[in-house]
Amino acid sequence: MQNAKICLYPRDASEAVRILSENGKRALILAGGTTASANEDPQVTILVDLTRMGLDTIEWEKGQWTIGCNVRLDQLAQHPGLAALYGGMLVEAVQAVGSTPIRNAVTLGGSAVQVFRWSDPPVALLAMDACFDLQGPGGERTLGADAFFAQHPQRVLNPAEILTRIRIQESEEDSGGAFVKLAKTEVDLAVVDVAVRLICSGRRCTDLRIVVGATQTLPWRAQAAEDLLTGKRLGGRAIAAAARAAREAARCRDDVRTDGEYRAEMVEVMVRRALKMARERARQQS
Amino acid sequence: MDLQLTLNGKRVVWQAEPGENALDLLRRHSLSSVKWGCGEGDCGACTILLDGRSVRSCLLVAAQLQGREVTTVEGIKEPAGPPHPLQTAFVEKGAVQCGYCTPGMLLSAKALLASNPSPSTEEVCRALDGNLCRCTGYQKIIEAVQLAAGRMRD
Ligand SMILES: Cc1cc2nc3c(=O)[nH]c(=O)nc-3n(C[C@H](O)[C@H](O)[C@H](O)COP(=O)(O)OP(=O)(O)OC[C@H]3O[C@@H](n4cnc5c(N)ncnc54)[C@H](O)[C@@H]3O)c2cc1C
Repeated sequence: MQNAKICLYPRDASEAVRILSENGKRALILAGGTTASANEDPQVTILVDLTRMGLDTIEWEKGQWTIGCNVRLDQLAQHPGLAALYGGMLVEAVQAVGSTPIRNAVTLGGSAVQVFRWSDPPVALLAMDACFDLQGPGGERTLGADAFFAQHPQRVLNPAEILTRIRIQESEEDSGGAFVKLAKTEVDLAVVDVAVRLICSGRRCTDLRIVVGATQTLPWRAQAAEDLLTGKRLGGRAIAAAARAAREAARCRDDVRTDGEYRAEMVEVMVRRALKMARERARQQS
Repeated sequence: MDLQLTLNGKRVVWQAEPGENALDLLRRHSLSSVKWGCGEGDCGACTILLDGRSVRSCLLVAAQLQGREVTTVEGIKEPAGPPHPLQTAFVEKGAVQCGYCTPGMLLSAKALLASNPSPSTEEVCRALDGNLCRCTGYQKIIEAVQLAAGRMRD
């Protein structure tokens, strides 16, 4: 950022989009700044601080949560209403991020767009089938979570397009969810993340999303595991079989923290654990 | 750019490069309690309070401070007044050895006590989870925070 000459503070999303489209690669977005502050691209001459344009509230209306891109993780973690959304899995995922001062800076928008292999909140957002509202020079559009995370979100966004809001629909049926992270310490990056969201009718699971994070470049749905359980009762054996299916589908990388083989084993363990937690939470609700 | 912020309760206007690291900026203005540790957001030696929240100054650029309130350890007590109860408690409990992590610890603890005057041990640990100490270990630091919390409640 050695060549940055000015910083602009757009007052709303339209102004931000205009600044970004006029300046192309010269402009760099700052949200919480926790990754952007280390940007060393010499082309960058204009900083665009998105945090002054509102979009910093958490709202609930008619069974839908709307979260502005500038809401910080500490705000999400402390929000009383979100603790009941799908078993509190979003709160679990944001609490899993780094340490207190990191959560006090990182925004949900930054966390969703600037995805690293080990990023935690995207795993829960994909499992909850969140909707992503985007605004760009061509207008506004909304992507479902599967489309938003189909490639790296920074490639999914068009030039000068920003993420403005994330929306999450509550279920009217009995539902449950869980996010679990395996890491070497409380504040370390994930070895494996798993998020599960399930919707039930009686004892039968009618809709299930199982997402694994930290093993590949992007979080991915363990569809073979989902297929084994959807429409069924979630007994111990069925859960164990689904967890094995997730492990078989996992393409796990080696890194400094651990090797791919251990990661794959832990995918099985963590999927099993998350499914059991989500099942218990759904039962408590019914 | 003209950077306007409230630093330790006083309005200041500084000349700054917008992309300058906030930690460098603060040290350039003689706020030497803010330490360079890892420079990557892991260690917490550069902790400041931004609008009352503990954050890493090494992960901020100058432009992000525009219009904000910044608190460093230089500002947690009156210039001529006695030390802050947290500072006194850290001394009494022997919670300081080399001292490099202490400013960050004090600020994280101050932010905690502002929102939670009677934290449990677990809550203290959680609030300090982003501040590493390489000398004493954490026991005395936790005890000091709780001693100060008790005195500040009285
Ligand atoms: C020491 C450390 C530990 C961490 N640990 C974890 C962890 O355990 N788990 C985890 O999940 N994360 C962790 N993080 C956070 C993660 O690495 C990113 O830094 C963070 O998610 C970025 O969010 P931000 O709000 O700071 O975005 P910024 O750094 O400000 O923005 C980064 C980029 O994202 C894009 N962007 C941001 N907001 C928008 C928007 N609204 N629309 C379009 N584009 C946008 C822009 O391209 C921008 O340049 C850690 C970070 C650090 C420094």
